[in-house]
Amino acid sequence: MAAETTQDPNAQVEEASPGFVHNMLAGIGAPILELYGTLRDMVRILGLTIYYIINGKGGPRRRNDIISQMYEIGNRSIVFIAVTLGFLGMILIFQAGFQANRITGDLSLLGALFLQLLLREFAPTITAMMLATRVGTGMAAQLGSMVVTEQVDALRMSGAQPVDYLVVPRFIAALIMMVVLTVFAIIVSFIAGAITANAFYGVNPRTFVDFGMLTWFDLWIGMAKAIAYGIAVPITACQAGLSVVGGSEGVGLATTKAVVNASLAVIVLDFIISGIGYAILAIL
Amino acid sequence: MINPLRKIGKQFLDWSDTIGGLVLMMVKVFANSAPWKLDGQQVWRSMYRIGVKSFPIVVVTALLTGAIMVIQAGMFIEKYGAYGLLGWGAGYSVLREVGPIMIGLMFSGRVGANTTAELGTMQITDQVDALRALAIDPVRYLVVPRIISMVVMLLLLVIIGDFAALLGGAITGQVLLGVDVKLFVWSIIEYIKLEDFTHGLWKAIVFGYSIGIISCYFGMSTRGGAVGVGRAVNASVVGSAIAIFVFDYFITYAMH
Repeated sequence: MAAETTQDPNAQVEEASPGFVHNMLAGIGAPILELYGTLRDMVRILGLTIYYIINGKGGPRRRNDIISQMYEIGNRSIVFIAVTLGFLGMILIFQAGFQANRITGDLSLLGALFLQLLLREFAPTITAMMLATRVGTGMAAQLGSMVVTEQVDALRMSGAQPVDYLVVPRFIAALIMMVVLTVFAIIVSFIAGAITANAFYGVNPRTFVDFGMLTWFDLWIGMAKAIAYGIAVPITACQAGLSVVGGSEGVGLATTKAVVNASLAVIVLDFIISGIGYAILAIL
Repeated sequence: MINPLRKIGKQFLDWSDTIGGLVLMMVKVFANSAPWKLDGQQVWRSMYRIGVKSFPIVVVTALLTGAIMVIQAGMFIEKYGAYGLLGWGAGYSVLREVGPIMIGLMFSGRVGANTTAELGTMQITDQVDALRALAIDPVRYLVVPRIISMVVMLLLLVIIGDFAALLGGAITGQVLLGVDVKLFVWSIIEYIKLEDFTHGLWKAIVFGYSIGIISCYFGMSTRGGAVGVGRAVNASVVGSAIAIFVFDYFITYAMH
């Protein structure tokens, strides 16, 4: 090519603007590469987190950090979770009752089926989605502004590991709180559903509260989901926060990235765990 | 010692402030939405950035959501052996409730948060005041195009997402449950009515509008540097999530 450029000045211009195929391949490749990089980063942070949970600096400082993070995550999300999951319970019972009325007119199994579906699917997943929006943005913004104001570098300078110091307490607190809030969500949603069933369809609360359908299997699936989300949400959020570049604009972008990544992680994990659960059930 | 009454009062005033701000934002947007006041170029540009850019994530979300709903419905279907109802069960729940809610949440996370971060960054770097100094109305130039694009684009994304979800459901039904795709599609055609589909679309319009108003309001009222932007994004996604569930309930109630 170098020989041609001496004769034809346009050749250089052509080489500088890549062709259609090149653009298409770049368009496909860039997101995949970015996804790969993000995933690698998450796995690295997860590995480091587990490593530091085992051999990090424990002691009273970490305990206090975990407790303050738990307050931050749990206490401040209670009203939010109660409102969203309460309305979700009302919506689901409203629709289900309407259909049951239309088809069979038998509403006696409504509560039992609803409880099973809540435990298996809606309570853990929607709680995790809500925590991804509420807690994920908070974590990413906090860590992001620390990176921008060079506090994370200052930690490194003074010989403290940022992951040990910042991610581990958030991780442990989020994991515990996810399980606690899932249980809370089940209770709130179920009560809201019972009230709706009674108000619109005249179902007696005693009929509605029916644990007959529940199996240990449902409980295991629900808990497995809660724990998986409890691991995924803080890791995705902290990864987004720690990988901030640029100033305040970068912090804004990081918070967005945290919500999207955490929500996607929740949906993907939901699909995987549900599929595995179904396969196990089919074998049994 | 914090006086509890004082705390309650402060909370109440904060909420009043937010609700008043949201209503004022609606009024301003409504006043600036007349067709001859629109900035066509801006609307077009934000439509591309809001719609086209969030297309992949919505399709992925919808595919997985459809698959999950089929798995959940399948657990009950298996028990009674009513395989002809699988398409109806998954389709009804996706089209009416789960599709719009999931896509709306994803949309609020991707587009709503992004809008708040963008406008917030503009606000704290004095770019909004610069627009005012140039005699350009920030609401007309920044907010209205975004809100119009959000309403239009969420509607289109929910239409696309519904089909993606049904496709994901059909594939999952075939692979995991062994229910023939033909049976699945027949079940949808037989039992799903057009109103199930339009019910979800009404929700999409309302969700798009509320996400737009909430995210723009919190973006424009950002104070306090980079930390403030983070706080604004947090408030915006929390507000959007609450709005989605609350409005979903009221629309469901009103449509029956």
